[in-house]
Amino acid sequence: MNAGTAGFAVSWASDRSTGTRALQKEQQLNRFLAEVERRALRIAEIGVRDRDEALDLVQDAMIKLARKYADRSSDEWPPLFYRILQNGVRDWHRRQAVRNRVMAWFPRSSRDDETYDAVAAAPDPAGRSPDEQLANDEAMSSLELAVSALPARQREAFMLRTFEGLDVADTAAAMGCSQGSVKTHYSRAIHSLRATLEEHGPAGSGD
Amino acid sequence: MKKSDETFAKEARALFDESVDRLDAATLSALNRGRHRALEELHAPRPQWLRWVPATGVAVAVLVGVLTLQPEPIGVDELPVPIADIEILLGDESIEMLEDLEFYALIDQLEPDDDVG
Repeated sequence: MNAGTAGFAVSWASDRSTGTRALQKEQQLNRFLAEVERRALRIAEIGVRDRDEALDLVQDAMIKLARKYADRSSDEWPPLFYRILQNGVRDWHRRQAVRNRVMAWFPRSSRDDETYDAVAAAPDPAGRSPDEQLANDEAMSSLELAVSALPARQREAFMLRTFEGLDVADTAAAMGCSQGSVKTHYSRAIHSLRATLEEHGPAGSGD
Repeated sequence: MKKSDETFAKEARALFDESVDRLDAATLSALNRGRHRALEELHAPRPQWLRWVPATGVAVAVLVGVLTLQPEPIGVDELPVPIADIEILLGDESIEMLEDLEFYALIDQLEPDDDVG
């Protein structure tokens, strides 16, 4: 094998190795996003109370993660992804506040008066009696309302810890604060939710 | 007896998981499309202008360094070219005069009472 052929072979092997690694990374990222996207959607939906807006926010978070952090270790993806998503939710609320101030100068349409109904928006139940389904729908609806009424940081801490199952360290990374702050926000959220939901759903006062 | 915070969290998680499992097909399809759109980013070429960012950064840093490290600003008196010359060069006078600069320089060297003729 002459030098030119050898050089070509090394280059080809290197390109092939790089291509294989890129493919593996893409598959890994695809699995991660597929695993996390549905819970992320519901978390965003509780944060903004609108499914279409939540879909946009989740897609933006997925795109930003792929664009900026695909090369990072997959262990870093959960806190990074949720940090991007939470930032998106916060930005959304800021934009809403500005929009509401502007729109206050204009008469409201009847559509603006429609309120979000989580029960009506829920899909048909599968494999559950209507009574059970209704009870769960009501409990989840109450929980959503109570969670969405929490202060932003408490809401984030509660959803990331409870719904997404992140540990304290990853939640702190996702929220951009200390682990101590996460514990404080989470504890306050739990106590606030339990007080609010005492007569409802998951936080019944006692069995 | 009050439920523990842990029990509360578990029940909340169970309700949440159930709501996730019951997402409708249209929503799941939208999520799927969004995910594939995100994965396309892995193959997107880097914008051309981003390639110039490092070089531009270095150039700006050098320029800032030169301007910052300059001990004294250059005064008007220290300009290497007399202001009058600049005024001439930037003026609206005919370019023909500038083409005869050697001639005018010669006249300038002559004493006022020299007989040119």
